[in-house]
Amino acid sequence: MKCARCLLRLQGLGSVVPSARPANRYAYLLQSTTGPVLTKPLVAFNSHGEASRHFHGSSAWAKSSPPPSDLKEKEKEIDKSLLSRDELFERVARDAKTKAAFDKAIEAFTKRDRRRRGHVEFIYAALQKMVEFGVERDLAVYNRLLDVFPKEVFVPRNFIQRMFNHYPRQQECAVQLLEQMENHGIMPNVDTKVLLVQTFGEKSHPMRKYQRLMYWFPRFKHVNPFPVPRLLPSDPVDLARLGLTRIANDLDAKVTVYQMPYTDITETGEEITLPHIVGTQSPDQVELLAKHDPSRPVFVEGPFPLWLRNVCVYYYVLRADPLPPGEKVEEPYDPERSLYYPLQLSLELERDMGDLGDAFDVEDLDEGPVFAMCMTGQGDQATLNQWISGLQEGNAVLGRVPTLFRLDAGPRELQSPAGESHRPHPPPETDPWVPGDEGGAGAARQEVDVTLEEEPQHSRGVKQ
Amino acid sequence: MSLNRIINSKSFDIGKSLLAFNLRYNGKFVPHPPQYRCFRTQARSLAYAKDLFLGQINKAEVFPYPEIGNEELEELNQFVAPVEKFFNENVDSKKIDEDAKIPAETLDGLKELGLFGMQVPEEYGGLGLSNTMYARLGEITALDGSIAVTLAAHQAIGLKGILIAGTDAQKEKYLPKLASGEHVAAFCLTEPGSGSDAASVTTRATLSEDGTHYLLNGSKMWISNGGFADIMTVFAKTEVVDQEGVKKDKMTAFLVERAFGGITSGLPEDKMGIRGSNTCEVVYDNVPVPLENVIGEVGGGFKVAMNILNSGRFSMGSSGAGMMKKLIEMTAEYATTRKQFNKKLSEFGMIQEKFALMATNAFVMESMAYLTAGMMDRPGVPDCSLEAAIVKVFSSEGSWICVSEALQVLGGLGFTKNYAYERYLRDCRILLIFEGTNEILRMYIALTGMQYAGKILTGKIKEMKRGNLGMAVGMMGQKLRSSFGGTKDYGLTGKDGLVHPSLADSALKLEQNVYLFGSAVESVLYRYGKSIVDEQLVLKRVADVIINLFAMTAVLSRASRSISIGLRNHDHEVLLANTFCAEAFFKNNYMMTQLQKHAPENNDASIKKIAEQILEKRAYVCAHPLDRTF
Repeated sequence: MKCARCLLRLQGLGSVVPSARPANRYAYLLQSTTGPVLTKPLVAFNSHGEASRHFHGSSAWAKSSPPPSDLKEKEKEIDKSLLSRDELFERVARDAKTKAAFDKAIEAFTKRDRRRRGHVEFIYAALQKMVEFGVERDLAVYNRLLDVFPKEVFVPRNFIQRMFNHYPRQQECAVQLLEQMENHGIMPNVDTKVLLVQTFGEKSHPMRKYQRLMYWFPRFKHVNPFPVPRLLPSDPVDLARLGLTRIANDLDAKVTVYQMPYTDITETGEEITLPHIVGTQSPDQVELLAKHDPSRPVFVEGPFPLWLRNVCVYYYVLRADPLPPGEKVEEPYDPERSLYYPLQLSLELERDMGDLGDAFDVEDLDEGPVFAMCMTGQGDQATLNQWISGLQEGNAVLGRVPTLFRLDAGPRELQSPAGESHRPHPPPETDPWVPGDEGGAGAARQEVDVTLEEEPQHSRGVKQ
Repeated sequence: MSLNRIINSKSFDIGKSLLAFNLRYNGKFVPHPPQYRCFRTQARSLAYAKDLFLGQINKAEVFPYPEIGNEELEELNQFVAPVEKFFNENVDSKKIDEDAKIPAETLDGLKELGLFGMQVPEEYGGLGLSNTMYARLGEITALDGSIAVTLAAHQAIGLKGILIAGTDAQKEKYLPKLASGEHVAAFCLTEPGSGSDAASVTTRATLSEDGTHYLLNGSKMWISNGGFADIMTVFAKTEVVDQEGVKKDKMTAFLVERAFGGITSGLPEDKMGIRGSNTCEVVYDNVPVPLENVIGEVGGGFKVAMNILNSGRFSMGSSGAGMMKKLIEMTAEYATTRKQFNKKLSEFGMIQEKFALMATNAFVMESMAYLTAGMMDRPGVPDCSLEAAIVKVFSSEGSWICVSEALQVLGGLGFTKNYAYERYLRDCRILLIFEGTNEILRMYIALTGMQYAGKILTGKIKEMKRGNLGMAVGMMGQKLRSSFGGTKDYGLTGKDGLVHPSLADSALKLEQNVYLFGSAVESVLYRYGKSIVDEQLVLKRVADVIINLFAMTAVLSRASRSISIGLRNHDHEVLLANTFCAEAFFKNNYMMTQLQKHAPENNDASIKKIAEQILEKRAYVCAHPLDRTF
């Protein structure tokens, strides 16, 4: 807010003293926020992990951008020069890798030299250390880093400077910083803007990058209609609850904890671990199950993976095969059902071809009913049997229906080669950046990566 | 359907004429004795509204406007005067509303006036009124919503079962006491889990082991008069063996006396309006019901229930009109005395508009109600359930709008309890809900008509679908003609026309609408066939058009008669009729345009989508307008 006010004040100044150059510049800046913004292709959102990137869109940049080979050399150079800058961080990291320490390093650098010599190298080094210090999602830290740039020096002063790439290294460094913000899903704020304007002027490349961020980020913030919380619950029961309500998108569905995880040591010193069993079932499913023909078996199938951000959980379903077409019984029409109006007309006219609408619906395929779902810490038949017996309380028919277990060996043997506890979840990795803070494309990509990793394990499970 | 005949037999027996035929606007009366009605040789089963679905105007049904004979009118006025006096002097509606109870003295007064047996034949001690006369008295009883509902629950539905399908023994045993008001009746159909779905009725009647009586078990909800009713028409499932020897559960109607024992009533519901009427839950616990107390056949309860419900609705039109007339008086009084900016309220255009609206609505309601009542009173087996439903829907919605407008005229004063408007508003809200909600009745209206028209048009539509060239060309020609505003001459106007020339324009509008409606129905049937039952938004429009068409007919018929016989202020009627018809004409045209395929006026797909998205989330889905993303 303070910055916005400052900007406004500057604008006011500009109108009073039109000849004052800096004031003019800020007036421009304010215009630029409402002016046309360069759009950027969507690539930005799934190209995380790409080390560096060319600028898109601006033809002025395309002329002056160095060839790719140049870039690589430059990177090597940067790496070399980083060494000395890294020391700064290593020194502060001796105590604790925290935000305070990170701030201290920045402060140390800014105080060391009034002219801030080597600030570009320092910023590159800082960007690399951010994850390590756990500040990669902290906007204030990014702003502090931007503040390391000396002000007003890189602002082009005439049209020739403006035309050519003025201080390209510095500009690229700032763009890299914004890029890292983008990858971690951090939205710049008005402070960032003020810093960029002060450092590079209002028509610089970092400014363009900022504008693109501000153009796309808000638009993609709510792009996922099924957001996953950024911090997943650590308790497996809560996690299962979250996963189940996410798959069973029915507000009536009731999640039941059939068994809490429990560890006990018997008299013989043996450790007994009871896994958690969490299931969900909706009233509609209860009704479907009640109507199920007891002579047809129901199946417990699984495990099926479900990715929640970077965590994979596995679920099991209780389902039946769809009825063969010949055996479907439609409820006979009872003319004495509705007291007020006929529920059917006795006409021989069918719906006209032109009014059939979208007769084909992918969700309309006959797949057989799913009666219930569960997640458990241990996917063996005994545990799942416990789930089924828990279900029987509300679904008496399960006592009469043959229940078949069709369980895949699943990935868990491979997860626990050393005979550790059965952990269906792979170890959590670093939180990848996901656009708009809510999962979505990032999560999907993550899923692809990890399933690729597990492919061989799965095929081995099938062979067994 | 012979049931209507039984109700009407009284007016029939005493030979009162309800109709004067051959009435023409030129004042030429074909002399015929007014006391004796003209009998027709064949039984009529058709009524007016159904034919509109075919684009036909069955003029004989609605022209001339039905009237009652002089003697009957005199007799009616003799009834009306004391009832009106009683309601003006002895009924304290405000107190009834506050105490949520009708005082015993008031009820006794009503009983003395014979209002508990208005439609019970005279031989059983009732007043034996025809439907028309019943509607007239309904205008007055409607001045207090609680009393009107109590009376309606007693006789429009409560004891109707005995009248319609009861045996002579049942009539002799129960009707006299019910007619005198010594016993009060109630109609017990609704259950916690069963509103209009008869399949989910869970109350059961099982035959006792010795086979002498049934044992009734279950509970009924929202029973008007349930707290004190002595005789109840209860619907319960019984086991019936059908022709193939399969045991089935079917509904049966029973006459249950509270004296049988085992009946408990819950606490009266605390309602928003009609607070003086008693509504509560009734629980039956092993109530022994003798075999002779079955109404109609065992397993025939569904038909009984449907007939009772269908026959009870027509009087709502006159009730609404009665209420509106009183409201117009009260509000006009205020509007002409209150001054703002040195001008009377009545001089402001927007206030004037409200009075015009109220008057038009009251006029239409009244016209429709008495037209329907008159049709029902005719000999033969007229099935007027469609018309009755139309009257109910139109008048309940009209009343609600008008009461609200009347309240608006008073502004803040109308909102206080010092005035009766808020009570009228609360009382009036139930009209849209009970006796079949308006939504359900719209379905009934549209589907009944569609079934009727569909039966007749099936052959033609199939022929068209098969690609009969001649038929298609004929259709095209017809469409072209109607798109240029062409119409068929129905004989309402012109020489020997049934409508007075001062209403000729409106009559033409009606003709044009009816013609267009016929082809709209045809194309709807062509497009949807029997799957039309699932197209509720289409059906709603069809129902709305037919309601307007019937309303237009009623006002035209009534106003024509008024001019022709020179009734007082008939010019005002002409004005009202013409105004209403002009407005309804445009509304109809708009709705029929919406019925066309790919009509830009038709938003149904979007409307459905909005509802689906909201219902999926079960909440309002939009972000708050003050929310930000950066």
